[in-house]
Amino acid sequence: MSNTISPALLFKSIIQPKAVFESLADSEPAPVKIFTRYSMWLLMLPPLFSWIGAYSFGWRLGADEPLQLTTTTLTVISLGYFLTLLFGFVTTAIISRWMAVTYGANTNPGLHAALITIVGQPLALASAAHLFPDVFFNLIVMIPVTIWSMYLLYTGIPIVLSIPPERGMLMASSLVGWLLVAVVSLLGLTVGLWTTGFGPLLGV
Amino acid sequence: MATEQQYYYDDVVKRLVQFSVIWAVVAMAVGVYLAAELVWPTIDFGQPWLSFGRLRPLHTNGIIFGFGVSALMATGFYSVQRTCHVPLFAPRLAWFLCYGWQLLVFLGGISLLAGWNTSKEYAELEWPFDIAITVLWVCFAIVFFGTIAIRKIKPIYISNWFYGALIIVVAIVHIVNNLAIPVTFSKSYSLYAGAQDAIVQWWYGHNAVGFLLTGGFLGMMYYFLPKQAGKPIWSYKLSVVAFWAFTYSYIWAGPHHLHYNAIPEWVQSLGMVMSLVLLAPSWATMVNGIMTVSGAWEKLRTDPALKFIVLSLAFYGLATFEGPMMAIRSVNVVSHFTDWTIGHVHSGALGWNAMITYGTFYFLVPRLVGTELYSVKLANMHFWLALAGTMLYIVSMWAAGVSQGLLWLSLDSTGELSYSFRDIMASMAPYYGLRFIAGLIFLAGTLLMAYNFYMTTRSRETVKVKPPAVDPAFGVAS
Repeated sequence: MSNTISPALLFKSIIQPKAVFESLADSEPAPVKIFTRYSMWLLMLPPLFSWIGAYSFGWRLGADEPLQLTTTTLTVISLGYFLTLLFGFVTTAIISRWMAVTYGANTNPGLHAALITIVGQPLALASAAHLFPDVFFNLIVMIPVTIWSMYLLYTGIPIVLSIPPERGMLMASSLVGWLLVAVVSLLGLTVGLWTTGFGPLLGV
Repeated sequence: MATEQQYYYDDVVKRLVQFSVIWAVVAMAVGVYLAAELVWPTIDFGQPWLSFGRLRPLHTNGIIFGFGVSALMATGFYSVQRTCHVPLFAPRLAWFLCYGWQLLVFLGGISLLAGWNTSKEYAELEWPFDIAITVLWVCFAIVFFGTIAIRKIKPIYISNWFYGALIIVVAIVHIVNNLAIPVTFSKSYSLYAGAQDAIVQWWYGHNAVGFLLTGGFLGMMYYFLPKQAGKPIWSYKLSVVAFWAFTYSYIWAGPHHLHYNAIPEWVQSLGMVMSLVLLAPSWATMVNGIMTVSGAWEKLRTDPALKFIVLSLAFYGLATFEGPMMAIRSVNVVSHFTDWTIGHVHSGALGWNAMITYGTFYFLVPRLVGTELYSVKLANMHFWLALAGTMLYIVSMWAAGVSQGLLWLSLDSTGELSYSFRDIMASMAPYYGLRFIAGLIFLAGTLLMAYNFYMTTRSRETVKVKPPAVDPAFGVAS
């Protein structure tokens, strides 16, 4: 039983997810080490890319003129983006571990942190699309990557947490429920901030 | 009683399931065609009956009244017999309702194509159809409540409360909202004027969503989920508390459809607050469903039905969270009149209503004819197509809706609107293209299911099932 996971192993999950899932199943990793050595850096990528992209080009929402925001606003939004992702990562790992009790799965917190990292990794890397801040372009890139991430979630849970596939399927669907609510909350929160005067100038 | 039948009336259930699947295919195909029209507007070929304005109510009425109500009648009749331990009351009336309802949806659809339209959303059918709906709905009530009246088991199971609320509340809101003065056979004018008409319309519209698409399908969930999990509902008390809280709070929520419109502000605020309150009973039901599945591992079968039902609960959680959130006025000011609303409706309609119905049908159809499902592999493929189609639909409409809301309200440095409505809509074509693909994927899954059911039920008789003996502790004293 190893208690450390090398960042190289987590990175390898991009090309050989099943092999990584299987090697994870026998380990008891420390969640803090996974976070500080790997996950945290992944979480920094989307805000960084979005800052650079929006600063250089401005967001294109489909209209002729791109939406330009001031450097201060951009920095605050990117910081908020990072904190939201951080909150999302930690709460998803905690909820996944909480659900594991119900579904009779392995409750080792490090395994849940590693699993959420592997599932989120393709999305974090594909956020390079933020460098070209066109909403539709980002959607086209993110949709197949999201499908891949969902595939990793559904295949990863039963292997990493050592439960039968049918049970893993139900646990994955429950986690998808939480993630959908989290995403739509983010959407509502963002729109709420716009109408209170933060972000783009709106006639409300 | 001399006329007492020995077996449950499941033939009518089977026929209603078949009609429901047919309407699902037809109305979803119309939806896909509409999605294509938004990408390539010329494919209406200049024909009025192929125009968006006529096909759109055909799509919504076909899904709600054809697919949805047929499924609710089928599952309601199946479960009320089994929870009351008696065959259906007035079976001939049930058959009349079964065919009468299909004729109504069919002729109503043709009338919509011909341009008959009251212009009230989800209540577009003109007055002759409204009267026919009322008559048929009374038949539904007689069969359903008649069966409960002659039940042999004393407690009335929670699924029947939800089906009962569906029948009573939809009758009330349908009759009140459709009160009108007929001018000709195909044209009538609403009894209400101006803002009052709008308030009555959305009191109807939201409670059609509430008691039909939410409450009715919760009745389905409360019977079929415990059946599939092989366990009783996690907390019966919670289900009863949630029922009354749900019934009380839903009826007030309609005005959130009219935020920033010409209705009193306190009415808007009341609608918003009651919409937020609604989250509690909605989620109580979701927790009850998920906890029922939990821990029943040894009884989980490999059939695909449970997958659909568990995923439908995830989307139910999303839709019932998103709805109250969009009812908040500061969110609604951006989201209203955008495609975000369309995305929200479909996270409910595809993710919740269609998926729980598919799951229930995968459970029901093989049992009705006493055989195994023709192909579990096709059903599993259907599951992934349904999930992919729903996700793609929701995500593309989120992106389109939020962009629209932002662009419509954007001001330039002089305080003028930055963009024209026309330009914004023209830039939405790529998102509409994605939505078209999403619809095609979802429809493909539904077609696989229809083929699977055809092969499962082909040349097979409905199984005859006898009501079991009633435990004297729960029996109705005769």
